Amino acid sequence: MTVLIDNLARFLSAIAGFITPLAIFHIAWSTLLGIIIGALPGLTATMGIALITTLTYKLPADLAILVLICVYVGAIYGGSRTAILINIPGTPANAATTLDGFPLAMQGLAGRAMGVATSGSVIGSFIGMFFLATIAPILGNYALKFQSYEFFWLAIFGIVISGHLTALEDPIKGWIAGFLGLLVAMVGQEGIHAYERFTYGTTELLGGFALIPAMVGAFGFAEVLSVMRNPPAEKAESPRDSIIPKLADVLRYWRTIIRSGLIGTVIGIIPGVGEDIGAWVSYAVARRKSKEKEKFGKGSIEGLMAAETGNNAVVPGAIIPALTLAIPGSAPAAVLLAAMFIHGLRPGPLIMVESPQFVYQVVAMVFFATLAILIYGIGLSKVLLKVLAIPKTRLMPVVFVLCAIGSYAITSRVFDIYVMIGFGIVGYTLRQMKYPMAPLVLGIILGDLMDKNLRRGLVLTDGDLTPFFTRPICLVLWLITFSSIILSIDPLRHALMRIFSFCGSQTRQLLNRLRG
Amino acid sequence: MARADFFTGIALILLSLYVIIESWRMPRLEHLKVHPLSVPGVVTAFVGMVLLLFGIILVIRSIRRGGHRLRVTHEGFRRLFNHPGNQRLLLTAILTIGYSIFLIGTLPYWLATGLFILVFILLFEWERGMNGVQRRRGLISAVLIAILSSAATTLVFERLFLVSLP
Repeated sequence: MTVLIDNLARFLSAIAGFITPLAIFHIAWSTLLGIIIGALPGLTATMGIALITTLTYKLPADLAILVLICVYVGAIYGGSRTAILINIPGTPANAATTLDGFPLAMQGLAGRAMGVATSGSVIGSFIGMFFLATIAPILGNYALKFQSYEFFWLAIFGIVISGHLTALEDPIKGWIAGFLGLLVAMVGQEGIHAYERFTYGTTELLGGFALIPAMVGAFGFAEVLSVMRNPPAEKAESPRDSIIPKLADVLRYWRTIIRSGLIGTVIGIIPGVGEDIGAWVSYAVARRKSKEKEKFGKGSIEGLMAAETGNNAVVPGAIIPALTLAIPGSAPAAVLLAAMFIHGLRPGPLIMVESPQFVYQVVAMVFFATLAILIYGIGLSKVLLKVLAIPKTRLMPVVFVLCAIGSYAITSRVFDIYVMIGFGIVGYTLRQMKYPMAPLVLGIILGDLMDKNLRRGLVLTDGDLTPFFTRPICLVLWLITFSSIILSIDPLRHALMRIFSFCGSQTRQLLNRLRG
Repeated sequence: MARADFFTGIALILLSLYVIIESWRMPRLEHLKVHPLSVPGVVTAFVGMVLLLFGIILVIRSIRRGGHRLRVTHEGFRRLFNHPGNQRLLLTAILTIGYSIFLIGTLPYWLATGLFILVFILLFEWERGMNGVQRRRGLISAVLIAILSSAATTLVFERLFLVSLP
């Protein structure tokens, strides 16, 4: 009970800390910018956070992270507007929203659909926020028990699960993307003996590829290329009915909302999976459990509510492992994590020891960002339509200029602009061939963690691999990791099925003989 | 996709073989008496071997789907380059890479940025059949956007963030 009161006091003190004119100003502009970024097809939350990170270098750490979280929450919500109005998801997280959002708009209920998206997003964020406040401290304290063996498996588990869930049709492509990310992270001086790997004598590569230029390239420049290749989007029309969320919709589908919020949070916690999967899984489960299955895909309020609650609940969920284990739950959270490092914060297992207040500050940031999307959700409609009308031929060169100068500004090196270009071209090509980007980013983030912990673990055990497989958490992690791989490769799965069916028939024969 | 997978698989096999060979050639640091399993090449070799395995799987799978049968025709290339989306993509790539590599650092930042935005907008927005008024209007708005964006980024990064611009 005392712990609960202590935590509540910390949360309230964090809230009070942000009730200043400057913080409110930052919340206002950054959430609005996030909503606009999310609403513009082609500009995603990850790209938005990566670009805005470059604008926050000079801000104090807490305000910088506040700005980035507001952009994150705003972008995931903002994408719903485009999904409803023009049937194009503003960000990948809103793909499931198009299924029922656009049919509702076609029925003349665009305003109501936007209201449902607002209420779903707000409640989803609050559900995720509740778990961020309750689970993060527990996980943080528990993570103190983790040793090199657990961290090695966490990195591999993250890559494999993220690769699997972000490329469900062809998981091998997700894993390739993840391991390519790990390989990218190997470039530069390694952390144990300071040996220069794959640097080819260049001083620019001594510290490895800088994270922000790499991500600005993979998400920013690659998206500029994708958007310019695609034909222009349709023009959105103004909704004719009210966009104010209806309490009746919330009360009627409260079960779906809570379930989707929980699903979103859990998916957020799984490393590198992200908002799009959160929305799809919430939508699929809502459809299975619904009494109005036939309405799904034709303008179901319940389906729309599930998708929008699910994707926004992922946001705080994805911040949980980022804060406590330094392992991001989604691609935008990966950039957020990188931004935290740039600002001198040290997320990871020691967070609850070194700066427990920061965890509650992050909870408060999500709280304010959620309030802001509620306010903008009710008031903002015409401005967004005007933004959506900006032709991509005018927006994209400006976005690219920001990609270039943002990459350069971190260390004032022109080399980082080339890194951005390189990652952009590779990212675009991989995306065209259906390789997901989230595991790649996760690999880049987790490479150092995996490298150091595998080698440290092997030194500690004098080359003995046993603890990597027998310690309880390791056991769970490698079992899930290997099952995921085996069950998704057809020949391996068939071989396993044959073994199981052979064992089953042998056991049956044995039992029959014993009975006989 | 099978053909793309075939080429990706081959590229992946070559890349991973290179990584494994490089890992093998990395120093073992015996003179420092470091543990053989903490040497720099251990993890890179592990990543290389996993990628090699995936590359082999990708190649075998694409061969089974007929991805190795290359049907490179003149007609195919012409269709690829005549696709309006691909033309837009190529033009975007040329403009953005040209700006990053040749303009930045050669011209003052504000001028390079303004020029890039202006040329980008004009090349994509000017179409055949536009009359003089439309062209003039397009030119004026492109110049305005170029000046405003260039001035804003220059001021924000140079004056506010104190970045010495390239």
